[in-house]
Amino acid sequence: MRYQLELTLRRAEGALTRVLGTAERRGFAPLSVDAHAHADGERWQLRMTVQGEREPEGLQHQLAKLHDCLAVKVQPCA
Amino acid sequence: MNGARWLAQALVAEGVDTLFGYPGGAIMPFYDALYDVPELKHVLVRHEQGAAFAANGYARASGRVGVCVATSGPGATNLFTGIADALVDSVPLVAITGQVPTGLMGTDAFQELDVFGMSFPMVKHSFIVRHVDELPHIVGEAFRIARSGRPGPVLIDLPKDVQNADASHLPPHAPLPIDDVEAPKDASLHEALALISLAQRPVIYGGGGIALGDAVQDFRTFVDATQIPTVLTLKGLGALPSKHPLNLGMLGMHGSRAANMAVQDADLLIVAGARFDDRATGKLAEFAPHARVVHMDVDACEIGKLRVADAGVRGDIRTTLAKLTLPVAAHLHGRNGPVRKAWRSQCQLHAMQHAARYDAPGASVYAPSLLKKLSESAPDACVVCDVGQHQMWVAQHWQMDHPRKHLTSGALGAMGFGLPAAIGAQLQDRDAQVICVSGDGSIQMNIQELATLRRYNLPVKIVLLDNQALGMVRQWQELFFDKRYSEIDLSDNPDFIALAAAFGIEALHVERADAVDAAISALLAANGPTLLHVAIDTAANVWPLVPPNRNNAQMIDADKDHANALPA
Repeated sequence: MRYQLELTLRRAEGALTRVLGTAERRGFAPLSVDAHAHADGERWQLRMTVQGEREPEGLQHQLAKLHDCLAVKVQPCA
Repeated sequence: MNGARWLAQALVAEGVDTLFGYPGGAIMPFYDALYDVPELKHVLVRHEQGAAFAANGYARASGRVGVCVATSGPGATNLFTGIADALVDSVPLVAITGQVPTGLMGTDAFQELDVFGMSFPMVKHSFIVRHVDELPHIVGEAFRIARSGRPGPVLIDLPKDVQNADASHLPPHAPLPIDDVEAPKDASLHEALALISLAQRPVIYGGGGIALGDAVQDFRTFVDATQIPTVLTLKGLGALPSKHPLNLGMLGMHGSRAANMAVQDADLLIVAGARFDDRATGKLAEFAPHARVVHMDVDACEIGKLRVADAGVRGDIRTTLAKLTLPVAAHLHGRNGPVRKAWRSQCQLHAMQHAARYDAPGASVYAPSLLKKLSESAPDACVVCDVGQHQMWVAQHWQMDHPRKHLTSGALGAMGFGLPAAIGAQLQDRDAQVICVSGDGSIQMNIQELATLRRYNLPVKIVLLDNQALGMVRQWQELFFDKRYSEIDLSDNPDFIALAAAFGIEALHVERADAVDAAISALLAANGPTLLHVAIDTAANVWPLVPPNRNNAQMIDADKDHANALPA
């Protein structure tokens, strides 16, 4: 199954790497990543497509637990 | 005042009184600052892994944040096993690592490693301090994060130039309050209650989250009020006293037969601060096959992760238990009251029928018997284990009365944990009776910390169960690898008595069962750090055992059922 992830991250050193590492370790392979700094300079806006067989709620909870993750939404790709 | 001095004073403001560490080049300004901050007692270990485990033991025993310090590069990497252990066992820890100056970062400088980057999968969070002005925010956040919710380790990587930078303009440190833990939602409590009220064969499955949530008393009240048979995980041991009539013991691979039978027959599991770890569940697909699940946990990640929860109750475990106790107890007298009573009696009968026996034949020391006697002789002791067969014997036979008095590397299973963690446990309470139970394999992983024990004259009692082998691996090779013993022989162990003496540690020796009582008495009567070397049979195994890829109903015991063992 493919899922689309929409994340808002604190623009902190390591934030992007933590998200990618968490997704991979929890069983979701990134297929595409698009990140850009928010206009306020304090946040990342990150959109990812991942593929995995596990329940996406687990990934959502794990990402939400990251200190630098301000918001996360996971939904199946159309 | 420089950044290092500001940090040292901030640690004092955070309530830190003891830190465990080892100096080196990139952390030298901080060590220089310690010279002028006598409120901080620094414990010099002999290997950075010892520092992380000692801080870990300090935190586990006290519930406070443990702090460890090391230099950059190898100092930091040596901390990582103890940091990882803190992550997977949810221990509040702050690790401070020196780093090369910011201008040298990324240039492959001497003792430079990307410690911040390496830390990601092993910490709850980590920071790198790029400028001295970031220190107040980062230090406050580090302690807040370590303590809040499900506790865990936080790493602060601190470049040397930041330590040396002028910090005189920074305000005194003000600790941040920990996050409020969300209370459970009423709807989820109602769902849980509905399931509990229907259950005829309920079992409570308690884990490490009970102590972490400071909910031991609430848990006991819940068990007493509801009269539901209870099983515990390795980290949950002590949440209910070992002798409590509803305590069926530990579940899982080396759990009690009564605990595993109850879980496999249950129609409802009430899971309190546990996470369906594979060592507890055995073959997950066949775990508790008839049971619906009420899962109570502070961490949303754990609910439904490995087993679907029919009712997930996310929130503070104390509040959850307190809110459920009276309504659940009321249902005791409801329509399923008599059925539950029969179920309870059946569980207790199984516990009696399958109680551990201590009448092992032969003249040699039977470790389970020694450990049971020792725990009964030192009922208030905090027991700190290493990892291996002795760890499971402690879990099975030690008479526990509180989880914070049983320190064990549960999820990581890190050999070498025991001795330094015992040092940490002793330093958090000088008057505590601390007993480290180790094996001949484990103790040699951090045996250098005998020097720390001696230096600070800590009265830790070490019980070294020496079977001259890597016993747990040997046991698996015997049972599941056709007795093809590969690299488990430790028959050339050093003379542990002489070794202890070389460190200035008094040592005793026992090898006969009829000398155990006297040896225990002598050990407990000794004033300072003392090691009791116990020679045990190399072939002694931990029983019962759930073989790999089997469910928990398929336990095997000594001298029977071996034919059922499957290859690993």
